[in-house]
Amino acid sequence: MTTPALAVKNLVKLYRRTTPGDHFRTLKSALLEGSLTAGLKREESIAALDDVSFEVAKGEAFGVIGGNGSGKSTLLKVVAGILKPTAGRVVADGRVAALIELGAGFHPEISGRENVFINGVVLGLPKKEIERRFDSIVEFSGLGDFIDEPVKNYSSGMYVRLGFAVAVHTDPDILLVDEVLAVGDEAFAHRCLARIEELLAAGKSLLFVSHGLDLVETVCDRVLWLDRGKPRVLGSPRRVVDAYRAAVAEAEGRVHQEARQDEAPTLDAEGEPLRWGSQEAEITATRLLVGGDETERYHLTTGESAVFEITAKSPRPLTDFVFGVKIETPRGIEVWGTNTELAGLAPGRFEGTATVRLELPDCRLAPGEYTADVAVHTKDGTPYDYRRKFLAFTVASPERGIGLYFPSHRWRTTGGIAWR
Amino acid sequence: MLATARVLWSFRALLGTLISRELKARYRGSALGFLWSLLNPLLLLTVYAVVFGLVLTPPRGEDVKPYAVFLVSGLFPWIWFSSSVLEGAAAITQNSGLVRKAVFPAELLPMVAVGSHLVHFFLALPIVAVALIVGRGLGFPVGGWGVLAVPFVIALQLPFVAGLALGLSALTVHFKDVRDILANLLTLTFFATPIIYPLSAVPVPAIQTALRCNPVTPFALAYQEALFAGRFPAPGLWLHMLAVALVAWAFGTWLFRRLRETVVEAL
Repeated sequence: MTTPALAVKNLVKLYRRTTPGDHFRTLKSALLEGSLTAGLKREESIAALDDVSFEVAKGEAFGVIGGNGSGKSTLLKVVAGILKPTAGRVVADGRVAALIELGAGFHPEISGRENVFINGVVLGLPKKEIERRFDSIVEFSGLGDFIDEPVKNYSSGMYVRLGFAVAVHTDPDILLVDEVLAVGDEAFAHRCLARIEELLAAGKSLLFVSHGLDLVETVCDRVLWLDRGKPRVLGSPRRVVDAYRAAVAEAEGRVHQEARQDEAPTLDAEGEPLRWGSQEAEITATRLLVGGDETERYHLTTGESAVFEITAKSPRPLTDFVFGVKIETPRGIEVWGTNTELAGLAPGRFEGTATVRLELPDCRLAPGEYTADVAVHTKDGTPYDYRRKFLAFTVASPERGIGLYFPSHRWRTTGGIAWR
Repeated sequence: MLATARVLWSFRALLGTLISRELKARYRGSALGFLWSLLNPLLLLTVYAVVFGLVLTPPRGEDVKPYAVFLVSGLFPWIWFSSSVLEGAAAITQNSGLVRKAVFPAELLPMVAVGSHLVHFFLALPIVAVALIVGRGLGFPVGGWGVLAVPFVIALQLPFVAGLALGLSALTVHFKDVRDILANLLTLTFFATPIIYPLSAVPVPAIQTALRCNPVTPFALAYQEALFAGRFPAPGLWLHMLAVALVAWAFGTWLFRRLRETVVEAL
């Protein structure tokens, strides 16, 4: 096996929690130990990175995803050499160029032109080399005449464009990019991606941190999911991104679920009522049960089975009742709705508690977020209990697509077409 | 000690760019521009000359006439020293973005302050020259071949100033109070340095000895010898300066190296 471009071994980075008035103590520990956290007890520090290890091969694009505060940026700063790890090692084979946050390393009072030189020198390029590449850098950044303006007058997009232009023109062996691509416009993002592809093809490596999961999936060969400083899943982009999405959806779905079923809010964020009806019959709970083993979760994959399990009660006997479910997108587009009457079920008698299950053996919703309204009402539509947006859930699919419906499908071609 | 010097040397081109940039930025948008680097010390000199030459006139003896010429030889090096140390100490905190978000040699930042004020010092030297010429023209025995010693004094003062600025810049990051302590300490040091008075005018021998312990004192004395008296400073004075310069540089670089790793977190 060839040596990796970048090896990160058991990296730990502790931060100290700010305790007022401990200046002398931290100064002492900085002086004597070269660390701010050496003398701290466990509860006084917080681990931004907790035993993180991975390797990035030459020519590989490695992505890091995770929520806010998961340690992604800290990881990048440690790899770049800006921060010193508390424990563990970073071994880089070649020159590292880091693009961290907006306008990283730019001097605001100085013109873009001078900043290019300063930045280039700091990244280890001789002045002559920068002069040779200067025009190409300016062209790539698309700044034109603005290059002679002080950087403080730049828009955030211009900052990023110039920073990226310099970074990729210094021929880094390992390029570290943190989130910044999101700031540039579409055209620039495409140019960046093209340039990244070139670098990768030339055997350079990329360490990419982003919240743009789609981008990570497109660009990266492997992805690491960091969860509060700990590596959670490492593997192919599809698998890791899906796992991450599922976890986020799960967390959100539960929150939604708990908030809703606690009865507390009766109005949504826009002030629209979430529940109405005569309450002669009541819907007390609804769960989403997914998969063959019917586990309660609020994310599913297109094609999995889904069951809407409604628990309802009626203190007095009813003879006129219809149960219905309607699925909508967050923006209010009706995806599908049905009820027991449409299905041809004629009501007989409903008294006490009951469970009503709407079973979808093959749920073919397109990937996205959905909410479901659940209701029980009379045949002429007068609601006993209408619960709007009672459920929230997310659908993922192995293949992207647009729209709301995701039928099972395949492509076939004959004749003069060949696929690689 | 040498490691820091080596880093600075390897980034000398960048240091030069940053210093010239700092100088340009300082006077951009002001009507008088670079003239200020001449006017500022001149105005300060006038104030001191009026206050201590005409208003408060303590017994000083005959050896400091004309007073303005005596004052000028010690005051300008002091301005270089105090401005560099004060600005250098704040250099890293003020450019935190550069250090926190990019791989940037932080040791350059205090050096930019030292370097740019050295340029201001150079720009003010013509005032000293004029003062010496006028003094001579009036028949006072000021100036002479001793002036040739000045570049060497500057060469020794540089590591002294740079070492202090370097160490203090890292210390300020960890301990913000340094800035205020320093401002007051510098005021005290100014009066504890024989700049507005000759050391010989201090009546109590014990106080004279105490003033000699002030690290800035040998430099002030050397400038006064070379410029005002026109004599080559005595070997003892050179050794004193060399010792102060070495200790300051060694201590400053040691402190900086120790604190460098934690600077980013503490910012």
